[in-house]
Amino acid sequence: MALKFIDAEKHINDTIIFPSFSLDVLPNEVAAICTSVNVREQLIDILLGTKLLSNGNIQNLSEKRLAFFFLNDGLYERLSVNELLKFYQQLYQSDESTENIIRIVQLDLKKNKKIKDLTYSEKKRAQLACILLQNSEVYIMEEPDQNLDVESKRIFISVLNQLRLTKKTVLILTSHLESAVTVADKTYRLDEKGLHIVQTEEVQQNVSDVEIEKEDKGIQPIRFEKIPTKVNEKIVLFNPPEIDFIESTDGQSFIHIKGENFPCSFTLNELEERLLPFGFFRCHRSYIVNLQKVREVITWTRNSFSLVLEDEKTSVPLSKTKMADLKGILGLK
Amino acid sequence: MTFSWKRVNAIFQKDLKDFSRNLAVSVVVFLPLILALFNGRAGENTITGHFMTINIAFTLIATYVQCCLIAEEKEKNTLRGLMLSPANTLEILAGKSLLSFVLTIIVIFFSAYLSGYNPPNIWMISMAIILSSIFYIGLGTLLGLVAKSVMDSSVIVLPVIGIFSIGSFVLLLVDKYPILKIAEYLPNVQLIELAEKIEVGAEFSEVLSNLGIISIWVIAVILLTIVVYRKRMVD
Repeated sequence: MALKFIDAEKHINDTIIFPSFSLDVLPNEVAAICTSVNVREQLIDILLGTKLLSNGNIQNLSEKRLAFFFLNDGLYERLSVNELLKFYQQLYQSDESTENIIRIVQLDLKKNKKIKDLTYSEKKRAQLACILLQNSEVYIMEEPDQNLDVESKRIFISVLNQLRLTKKTVLILTSHLESAVTVADKTYRLDEKGLHIVQTEEVQQNVSDVEIEKEDKGIQPIRFEKIPTKVNEKIVLFNPPEIDFIESTDGQSFIHIKGENFPCSFTLNELEERLLPFGFFRCHRSYIVNLQKVREVITWTRNSFSLVLEDEKTSVPLSKTKMADLKGILGLK
Repeated sequence: MTFSWKRVNAIFQKDLKDFSRNLAVSVVVFLPLILALFNGRAGENTITGHFMTINIAFTLIATYVQCCLIAEEKEKNTLRGLMLSPANTLEILAGKSLLSFVLTIIVIFFSAYLSGYNPPNIWMISMAIILSSIFYIGLGTLLGLVAKSVMDSSVIVLPVIGIFSIGSFVLLLVDKYPILKIAEYLPNVQLIELAEKIEVGAEFSEVLSNLGIISIWVIAVILLTIVVYRKRMVD
């Protein structure tokens, strides 16, 4: 069953929360909408039916068929994992077996432990198990992989794959582009200017490369190595080795340094050209990463990868085609 | 939508497990029993004495426990999950009330046994007690919906305990302050009046007015609870 937004728009008084957009999420597809916290909360309230759209409508919005995975959802802390799932099984009169689902989220060893004794990531997995039990057609997930440990993230991605196979519709609402790109088939960005698809394929790249080469006729006579960024009207120069990675959103590139980001006036293509000699690598259409700072390459599935940086908190998506290039650079076959 | 006992039962069993592991709340179950034991041993054998313990059992178990159960669902964000499930309003409220109802009846039965209360017409008394317990549970649900947390609920429930368990003593002051005559219509006072009539061998028709007044309280509290619940659902 598909989830359809038709000309959906929302404004409160004079403030536009999001302008009119249409979006079809098909069965066996995982779509992600990357947006701000405010818009996300409004969207969830609208999907829950507690708030109304200002215009347009959402098809197949019968509350009971949607399964929600909230960011701050409560679990009955004094029950064990097994008891909790039995409760949801009875409540939803589901014919899924709890044993099977516990195995899917890999809580076998903890199934007799009380929820309050689990770690945050394990609680999220128990929550995931609860919504799998509902056997719903459409899943709405709010920040599903926020603060998860690597193992739980991997389990989460394999659960998503399983949902794809069983022809479920999944819509992920998140504010992290990186997590959206890693888990979803189609990623959209929703802001006050509307809904834009975030390109994850490399189709258009050659075209833009050619354009930029044309523009780049007047080459600077002095090769200048620092990267300028703008902070409150000031221009700050950074040494390339300081940079962790560079992200591009809506054509604006942001330089990430130690968890802070700074807007930079160059495009990713220009930056890539400048930074190539410093060991930077274009790992994704919208990302350049400093290879010196990469600690780990994580393989989620056969064609979805992430790079984990040295601080072990930040991760950057790595696209399938770039994986081959990276292997080449690393000297692996 | 059809009313499903399976879903009500699921909520009941979940609450039973949850409640038995939550010592902070479940310990109040023993309070009326201990009080009844003292009363029985002390040879206190008046209707007021017996109903003192029974009214305390009502306020502590039916109201306070119910209030905590509902408030905890709200505080831990689990009520939203219940509301999104296929269970409808009636099933959720019935499931959440079943545990406190069963507990109340069990505790009242044992405290009556321990304090040596032996009414001549047990059926009429049980009917009045069941009716009253529905009122107190409704009140507990209402307070639970209003309270923001478990902490909040134990404060909110204090005046209720005050009015409904010790409130019957107010009647001693009626001669002095005629305004307190209103207190005669409180469900706890009505229950005691009913029990006294039965003690001297009253017929069903004679206690009908007391049962009627308690029923009005029950209906009022149920209507109010449903209104508040619907309103909270929208938030």
